[in-house]
Amino acid sequence: MADPDARLTLLLSLADDELVIGHRHSQWTGWAPYLEEDLAFSSIAQDELAHARLLYRLAREAGLTDRDEDALALGREPHEYRNAVLCERPNGDWGYTIARQYLYDTADALRLQALSSSSWRELAEAARLMLLEERYHVDHARAWFDRLANGPSLTARGRLAQGLSAAVGDALGLFEPLPGEEELVAQGVLPRPNEDLLAQWLEELGRTLEAASLDYVLERHAEAGEMVPTGSGEIPEAGEALSPPGVVYRDGRWVHEGGFTGPGGRRGRHSEEFVALWEEMTGLYRAHPGARW
Amino acid sequence: MVRTEQEERKELEGAVWAALEGVHDPEIPAVRIVDLGLVERVAVSSEAVEVDLLPTFLGCPALDVIRAEAEAAVRAVAGDREVRVRFVHAPPWTSDRITERGKEAMRSYGLAPPEGPGRAFVPLAALGRGTPPAACPFCGSRDTVLESAFGPTLCRSVHFCRACRNPFEAFRPKPAA
Repeated sequence: MADPDARLTLLLSLADDELVIGHRHSQWTGWAPYLEEDLAFSSIAQDELAHARLLYRLAREAGLTDRDEDALALGREPHEYRNAVLCERPNGDWGYTIARQYLYDTADALRLQALSSSSWRELAEAARLMLLEERYHVDHARAWFDRLANGPSLTARGRLAQGLSAAVGDALGLFEPLPGEEELVAQGVLPRPNEDLLAQWLEELGRTLEAASLDYVLERHAEAGEMVPTGSGEIPEAGEALSPPGVVYRDGRWVHEGGFTGPGGRRGRHSEEFVALWEEMTGLYRAHPGARW
Repeated sequence: MVRTEQEERKELEGAVWAALEGVHDPEIPAVRIVDLGLVERVAVSSEAVEVDLLPTFLGCPALDVIRAEAEAAVRAVAGDREVRVRFVHAPPWTSDRITERGKEAMRSYGLAPPEGPGRAFVPLAALGRGTPPAACPFCGSRDTVLESAFGPTLCRSVHFCRACRNPFEAFRPKPAA
């Protein structure tokens, strides 16, 4: 499904990522390992929902949609959401939660840095505002990555590694090319193509994982990647679910190889887990259409 | 003596700033929004008074309350003019905008103010390593530890003072990029 304006696709993919991962983070409220982490994930969720709201408002103010922020956040059908599948996965254990938050927030910071020089002034301003707050999220993820990877507990390190293995393929999906992306790049709205951002993110991730002797999680992904076809360059509208590029170690760094095949979150293709999340997240709004609070 | 329109506008602009002095942050009642650096612009035309505010943290639930209170305060001095108070997104608000009077009000409220201006972003959650500890608002000691980088609101972190044995909160710094 294509939006009439690629700028709407871009805003929805950014906003839906924030909304959906924010919803997952909020599910830690009251259940995190200790009080400080209840606060941390609740606060990060609060930030992410506010960022989603800012972007939905921008879509309305720019005349890209006539739906207001509540209708965009809660009044759409599941296939209309453009978040990457990574954001909708259940929280799992603490190792997966930290792995996912690390992968997501490092990727989010990178794309916001790129967007802060967007030719679309309002989007550039929004990106600069969000970046100032996202520093705290990256900071939180890095501190926990360090605790689990380099702390005294082998169990913690093992759980983090399992979480990274499980999440890294989905995390590549954050960089799935957007429908209409070429136009956005040509106009300077999206200053760098997703493929370019993916290359930088993967190289930096690879270095961090190497430093922690955890880069074997990328090797595992690379092995899994060899079993699926990549590099056709064509993205069919229908068919099998998204398959991300492979990942290989070459000339001293981790790089991606091949392209994305199949539709992913950016084209409204979601996991079954998303339907349950969507039902919970939108339940009140659907029961009382137009309700205000 | 008849005042020129320009003089009248100038006078009203001063009255609007004075009215905004009376608006406090509902989450930190000791602190005025003007001292937080929230008021970016006051413009008086022949028909309207416009006030531009900057959001501290985008997800702060007090923003709507602040806007409504600022609007009511301005309306009380604006006469027949239309009053428009809105949040704008540029320039980004940073904690460097907090005035000395605002920081003093925070300390008297038991909240450690952010340091700066011009101080770079310091990772709060990085296990305390290399993080200059916040100064205790009660006894002034820097023999303090960060207990939680995330506190009861988006703008506060939680600390403990080893010197006077008091837990305390700090306003989270948000320096420029």
